[in-house]
Amino acid sequence: MPLGTLDRRPPPFFHQGPSALTRLAVFSAVALFLMAADTRFSVTRPLRAALAMVLLPLERVLEIPMQLTHASGEYVGGLHQAQADLAKAQLALTAQSAKAARVDTLLAENTRLRALVDLKPALAVKSQAAEVLYEASDPFSRKIFIDRGATNGGVVPGAPVIDEAGVLGQVTRVYPLSSEVTLLIDKEAAIPVLNTRTHQRSAAFGADGNALELRFMAGNADVKVGDVLQTSGVDGIYPPGLDVAKVVKVDPRADSSFARIALAPTASADGVRHVLVLEPMAMQLPARPAPEPEATTLPKGQKPIKGTKK
Amino acid sequence: MPRGADQLLLPVNPLFLWFSLVAALVFNMLPLGRVPAMPDMLAIVLVFWNVHQPRRVGIGAAFFFGLLMDVHQGAVLGQHAEAYTLLSFLAITMHRRLLWFTLAEQALQILPVFIVAHAVSLVVRLLSSGSFPGWTMLLAPLFEALLWPVVSWLLLAPQRRAPDRDENRPL
Repeated sequence: MPLGTLDRRPPPFFHQGPSALTRLAVFSAVALFLMAADTRFSVTRPLRAALAMVLLPLERVLEIPMQLTHASGEYVGGLHQAQADLAKAQLALTAQSAKAARVDTLLAENTRLRALVDLKPALAVKSQAAEVLYEASDPFSRKIFIDRGATNGGVVPGAPVIDEAGVLGQVTRVYPLSSEVTLLIDKEAAIPVLNTRTHQRSAAFGADGNALELRFMAGNADVKVGDVLQTSGVDGIYPPGLDVAKVVKVDPRADSSFARIALAPTASADGVRHVLVLEPMAMQLPARPAPEPEATTLPKGQKPIKGTKK
Repeated sequence: MPRGADQLLLPVNPLFLWFSLVAALVFNMLPLGRVPAMPDMLAIVLVFWNVHQPRRVGIGAAFFFGLLMDVHQGAVLGQHAEAYTLLSFLAITMHRRLLWFTLAEQALQILPVFIVAHAVSLVVRLLSSGSFPGWTMLLAPLFEALLWPVVSWLLLAPQRRAPDRDENRPL
């Protein structure tokens, strides 16, 4: 009898594929690779975008029951709430109308003055309204997802996101039809701010528990409770003059040369439904001039001066 | 005696199996806000099918569902995938032993598995600079273990139906 006619494989009853331990090792390795690739490189971006597109219909459908409960609550709570809201809105409108009337004159005056001293006209900010899809349930970060993405709104990574009260956060990931916004109160977030009372610039960072903190301020710095912080506009991303936060606590620590300054964000992260996505300021600035060819006749030992790092 | 002591189960319907997994995913995706103590329904259902049908739902499925959760939450890609992979492995290694116990005893044995999964998530996120969500997150694995008997009862119900229906037992 020739060799090979006998089936030497184990019967199919024993076919179980690789052992569980082998699979654990393989999938753990893939997961570790993905984590490293996701935090350090951008190779996982297409995978993420594809999966996000798969999940988007589900997310849109799941939005409906939440909207229904919201709407039914409004229906029941109804008239009184609506009247109270109307009264509040009218008060706010009256308060703003005086300001708005002045703004027109000021704008005209500003344009004339700028023309007088030959300054470039101030940048106009392009904006786009977006709806909040959901707040990420991830307990380790503070993110929201909005319904505008790269193809249906031209959202770019890094774009500032504001609501009616002030700066909310910044777009960190853009999918074709949705985007991820990291809120200012996320631990990873940072924003350059300007103290409107003292005109001192500093940087605010996200802190635990719905708050921000002002880091690297000297213990004797002129910061008082109640100071309003606005965007400074030096970062090329946020337009200047948007409300960011208010100082709620100043604690000059004895054990450190820096004070601990707690801030309360102006924009509330909870319950926000509509936001405005702005275009980063840097995109409206004129293009950087092409670098001149480096001089070849430098004296020996002297290095050519490099352009500032972007 | 194992679960067969009182009755024999019908074979599982694969459609129902995958439907239950997708339903659990949808439950996890409900926009209920950010609650650290929220039990991870997908993890419970994954462990359930890993224990009851390890040939059908294995580590690969757990990994894939983990990736979906990562993308949905905007977490580090691979965080849930790693946690669910480990969860699935532990469930598969204990699946022969677990079914000899009553539901309450099973919940007690499954609790450490959920704790390990949450611990993996926590370590991954603290290493990749997430913020600590607060101590209430310790409650999540406890809730998951408490939900285990409920989920087990619900998901086994279709297999407990009568093989031959009559007017006394229509289902």
